[in-house]
Amino acid sequence: MVLGVFVWGSVQIDGFSSGPSVRAMLVIASLLALASLGQTLVILVGGLDLAVPGYITVGAVATAELAGTKGWPLWAVAVSVVGVCAFAGGVCGAICHYLRVQSLVVTLGMSSVLIGGVIVATKASNLGVPPQDISKWTFVMGETLDVPVPPVVCLAVGVVVGSWLFLAHTPAGRRLYATGANPRAAEGILIRTGRVWITTFAFGAAATGLAGMLIASYSSGASVTIGDPYFYSGLAAVLVGGTALGSARGDFLRTVLGALILTALTTILSGMGLGEGDSRILFGLAIIVVVLAYGRDRRLRDRI
Amino acid sequence: MQSRTLLLAPDASRLKRVQASLVGRRPWVFAGVLVIALLLANAALQGSFLDPGYWPGTLGTLAPFVLVAFASTVPVLGGGIDISVGPLATLVNCLLVATLLPHGLGSPLVAIPILLAVGAAAGCINGLLIVVGRLQPVIATLAMFFVLSGLALHISPAPVPAGDNWTRDLAGTAGPLPGGLLTIGAAVLIWVLLGRTQFLRNLYAVGGDDVATFSAGVNVAAVRIGAYVLSGVFATIAGVALTAVIQTSQASLAASYSLIALAAVSLGGTSLAGGRGGLIGSLLGAAAIFLLQELLAATGVPTSYVQLVYGLLLIAGVVLSGITSKGR
Repeated sequence: MVLGVFVWGSVQIDGFSSGPSVRAMLVIASLLALASLGQTLVILVGGLDLAVPGYITVGAVATAELAGTKGWPLWAVAVSVVGVCAFAGGVCGAICHYLRVQSLVVTLGMSSVLIGGVIVATKASNLGVPPQDISKWTFVMGETLDVPVPPVVCLAVGVVVGSWLFLAHTPAGRRLYATGANPRAAEGILIRTGRVWITTFAFGAAATGLAGMLIASYSSGASVTIGDPYFYSGLAAVLVGGTALGSARGDFLRTVLGALILTALTTILSGMGLGEGDSRILFGLAIIVVVLAYGRDRRLRDRI
Repeated sequence: MQSRTLLLAPDASRLKRVQASLVGRRPWVFAGVLVIALLLANAALQGSFLDPGYWPGTLGTLAPFVLVAFASTVPVLGGGIDISVGPLATLVNCLLVATLLPHGLGSPLVAIPILLAVGAAAGCINGLLIVVGRLQPVIATLAMFFVLSGLALHISPAPVPAGDNWTRDLAGTAGPLPGGLLTIGAAVLIWVLLGRTQFLRNLYAVGGDDVATFSAGVNVAAVRIGAYVLSGVFATIAGVALTAVIQTSQASLAASYSLIALAAVSLGGTSLAGGRGGLIGSLLGAAAIFLLQELLAATGVPTSYVQLVYGLLLIAGVVLSGITSKGR
């Protein structure tokens, strides 16, 4: 699918497959994928995280304000972002699990709390610019150890490998799948599903917060609405990648492929000179086509 | 005999049982209590809140919330989900304000059938994608979310003022009735009439266990498509009610209305797994969210705190409803 979309793009637009444009797309796709790592894990465990914009906003605004304006060292900012996001995510996971509440509503509320908290803390002024150190990560022409690939792309590849090793080859990863597939059966084989839920939500939140820091550096600034586009596109990336809601199938590699498809599509659509409205229409239609191609459920009469 | 012993010995376990059965059978009780509490708080803070003169305006503002909540309740009852209700409501709003009214098609008798047809068609496409295309409801309606909000942006890239038109009455009083009551009433009437047919029972059955319902000979495909068409119709009415309140075309409201609708459904005790719940819960859930916003505005909380408090109260609400219904 990625190849197909890419070939279509090369035919449609001059310079689509040139070096700088591919690099730019890779950077955007990596950011989208990293921002959806948390969502992927939470969906695998059987939830849905609507607090993604909240975590991204926390990470982005912290980078711009604390590191940019107040001059905190980056590691301190990263530690505090991870702390805040992991706490918020853990609370969500705990509430959802122990009170049997829909994760949708809890995380929706949490998103509102986080964004509201950021507005209160910054008094709604976000003028800071992220420091140079972190901007290097997402600089399109950046290099990793003299290899001409932006560091954030390498990071995404590293996370793909790491998450695959974790999910497929560690007991914790198998527990995560087991909990997502059937919580009661998982309890039956002595998995503490509560602990799995809390750590998954907390880890997902922390990862999304860190992605928010990178997003701030990419867009050289932050606002309280910076996370909004990443929720719907991120969810679309997860779903187009083939990780299905409510069934513990899928992994992070699929999300990365989904993010690549979506980013290439967006680039093609904006390259064809379409307005915001038209490109959204085509984006929606493209999701339908992609998912129709390989993401269909079984027939009802085959499930009896 | 049994009931008499229960009456004579009112102990803690009985109270718990009553509470459990009350919340268990009527999951909307919690939202109802919340609405009453918020209503009292609002009345205490703003004396004018209970003044009958303000009711039509309040109901008019409340109507779009309630109607989008209704629209997303129907597919949820059938075991699906519809996140395209917000964009559909704003598409109807943009279509009415930016296309129909300027072209002289704005009179109610012409505009309402056109808009209902658009809404039903959008719902029908959702249903076909899910039933025939066998897509997951979330994916299908997410794609429709993009398509519909794109269409709305295409029709009206920037907000257009509506001018003088018939929808204005729906935000105030239409004849002797408050306009908000009229739009909500229309949706409730459709629901009650459908309650006399087999459709609603089949819908709950499909939401409870689609495979078993299929085995029992029910046309599950038709019920599912019907649910999404009905959702489209409710979202259309929501779009008209929204136009009545804001009197401009606003393509940007789509995402927030989808989220509010889901929050209202869930707060109202309708299970997102399908098969349990109803419109009463969503009505109360939407009313609770609306009253919460009113309360925050009335207490003069600085605007920067509104979102924080809103989120905290939403979580607190869900936690409370989780604790009360855990006894089951």
